[in-house]
Amino acid sequence: MEVLQYSLRRLASGIPLLLGVTFISFLLMVYFGPDQTYQLLGKNPTAEQIAEIRAQLGYDQPFLVRYADYLREVATLDFGNSNSTGELVTDLLGRTIPVSLMLILPGFVLGNLLALLLALLAAHYRSRWPDKGIMAFSVTGMSISYLIVIIAFQVIFSSSSGLGWFPVRGWNVHSFAEYLEYVTVPTLATVFVALGYNTRFYRSVIVEELNRDHVRTARAFGVPPAKLLYRNVLKNCLIPIITRVVFTIPLIVISGALLVETYFGIPGVGKVTFDAITTGDQPVLKAVVGLTAVLFVLAQLLTDILYRAVDPRVSLS
Amino acid sequence: MTETTTRRQSLWSKAAWKLRRDRFGMLGLAVVAAYFLAAVGVWLGLWATGWGDVAGGKWEAPSAAHWFGTNLIGQDIFQRSIYSISTAFEIGLVVAVLSTLLGAVLGAVAGFFSGRATDELVVWLMGVLDSIPFYLLVAAIAFALEGNPWSMHVAMISTFWITTARLVRGEVIKLKGLEFVEAAHAIGVPEYTIIFRHILPNTFHILLVQSTITFVAAIKSEVILSFLGLGVKDGMSWGLMISESTFEVLAGFFNNFLAASVLMFGLVMAFSIFSDALQDALDPRQVS
Repeated sequence: MEVLQYSLRRLASGIPLLLGVTFISFLLMVYFGPDQTYQLLGKNPTAEQIAEIRAQLGYDQPFLVRYADYLREVATLDFGNSNSTGELVTDLLGRTIPVSLMLILPGFVLGNLLALLLALLAAHYRSRWPDKGIMAFSVTGMSISYLIVIIAFQVIFSSSSGLGWFPVRGWNVHSFAEYLEYVTVPTLATVFVALGYNTRFYRSVIVEELNRDHVRTARAFGVPPAKLLYRNVLKNCLIPIITRVVFTIPLIVISGALLVETYFGIPGVGKVTFDAITTGDQPVLKAVVGLTAVLFVLAQLLTDILYRAVDPRVSLS
Repeated sequence: MTETTTRRQSLWSKAAWKLRRDRFGMLGLAVVAAYFLAAVGVWLGLWATGWGDVAGGKWEAPSAAHWFGTNLIGQDIFQRSIYSISTAFEIGLVVAVLSTLLGAVLGAVAGFFSGRATDELVVWLMGVLDSIPFYLLVAAIAFALEGNPWSMHVAMISTFWITTARLVRGEVIKLKGLEFVEAAHAIGVPEYTIIFRHILPNTFHILLVQSTITFVAAIKSEVILSFLGLGVKDGMSWGLMISESTFEVLAGFFNNFLAASVLMFGLVMAFSIFSDALQDALDPRQVS
C-alpha cells in the first residue's frame, strides 16, 4: 500500500520531466526538423495541393496546438502511420524494439556481470599486480572508440581476411543457432567497451566501501575474504550499482544499439529512429521520444523502489 | 616556519608536486604535448598541407613518399591523419572550454540558490537533457541547424555541461555554508560577486579535471558522429577517415583504419592517464 501510494506520487512528480523531454524533442525534431512537404508531393504541385499536404502534416497549425496534439497522442498511444513506410507506428516499434533488445541484452548483462567480477577481483588485490593489470585493461578499453572496436572485431571474426566465422552483417534470425551467429560479434564488441567503463566505476565504488570502518571490523573478526566481499561490501554498494544499471535501460531500449545497428545493418529501433530524424518522419519520432520520456520516469520510480528494497534505511516518503 | 616552507604547503603547489612525481601522468602529459605541437604545426601551415591533394595511385602501400600509403583516390594517408590531429584539438578545446564554462556558471548559480526556483529550473533542465538519447539529440540539433558546421559542437556542449554542473552544484552547496561566505554576506558583498568571485574559484580543481574528461569525450564522440554523417563537415578528421575505411577493411586494405585509430588511441589514452593523475593530485580524498 505504502509502495503503491508512493509510486503514484512519484509518477505525478515525473510529469515535469515528461513535459520537458517531449517539449525539447518536439521543438528540435518536429518543429525545426526536416520539412516533408515536397517529398510527399508529385511534380509541379499547385498551391492547393501544397496547402493540402501541409494541413495533412499539421504544418499549418500554430506551435502550441501541434504540441498539444502531440501530448494527446502520447497519452492515447495513438501515433498514426509512419510517413515513410505507411506502417502503423505502434506496429513498427513492436517489430523493431524486440530486435534491439535481443541484440543488446546479452552484451549489457555480460558487460555488467563480468565488470563487477573484475572490479571485485581488482579491489581485493588492490595495488597489487592483478589490480594493476585489470585497471590497465580498463583504461585501454576506455581509450578505444566503440566504432573502432566494432570494425576491428568485424574484421577479425567475420571478414575473409580474418577468421570468417560469423556473417559480416545483417539480421536473418529464424532459429536460436542463427541468433547466436548474428549476435556474437556485436555482443563481443559491446562487452569489450562496456568492461572498460563499468570495471572502473564498480571498482571505485567497491574500494570506497572497503575503506569503511565496518569492513575493517568484520575483517578483524576473521570474516573470510569472499564472504566479506559479498556480504559486507557488495550489498552495501548496491545503490550506486542499481542507479547505473537502471538508468542505462531506457537508453538501451531506444538508442543504445544505434551504432551497432547502423554498422551491421540490423533493423532495430535505433536505426529506425535515426532514419526518422534524417527524413523527418514525425509520427515515428513523436512515438520514440514520448516512449523515452516515459521510460525515464519509470526508471526513476524503479530505482527508488529498489533503493528501499536493498536499504531499509531509505524511506519512501 | 619560514616564508618559503609555508608557501610550499599551499594546495596548488602540493598538487603540482604530487603531479610531477606521477611518472605515468607526466608521460601522458608529454605525449599530449607532442600531439599539440603537431596540431600547432598544422595550424601554422608547416606540415600536412597536402592532405587534400591526389598524390598517388589507389591504395598504394607505405613508401618513402607516402609513409602510410594512399587511400582510395590516391590521397596521402599520413598527411590526412596528421591534419586530423588539429581537427581533434579544435573540437576538444572548443567543446571542453565552453561546456566547462556553461557547467560552472549554471552549476554555481543553481548550487547557491539551492532549493529555490532557479535551482529547480537548472536541475529540471539537466534531468530533461539527460533523458534524451545523446545521438538522437545530436541528430536533431544537426538538422535543426541545417548543416551548420558547428552543429556537432553545439550538440556536444549542450549535453557535456551537465556532469560538470552537477559536480559544481554539489560543491557550491557545501561551500556556501562556510564562514568566508557568511563573512562576505555580512559586509554586504552582492550575491553574484559572492558566487563568481568568492565561491566559484574554490571549485577550480573540479573544473580543471572535468575539462580534461570532456576533451577526451569530445574527441571520442566526433569519431562516432562523423561515421553517422553528423560530424565534421569540411576538413578532415579521424572520424571521417574511419568511416571511409569501413568498406576498405572488408576488402583487406587497413592503412586508413590503422592510421586513424592508432593515432586517436594514443591521444585519448595519454590524455586519460594525464587526467587521472591530475585528479589524484588535486583531490587528497580520492581513493586509489
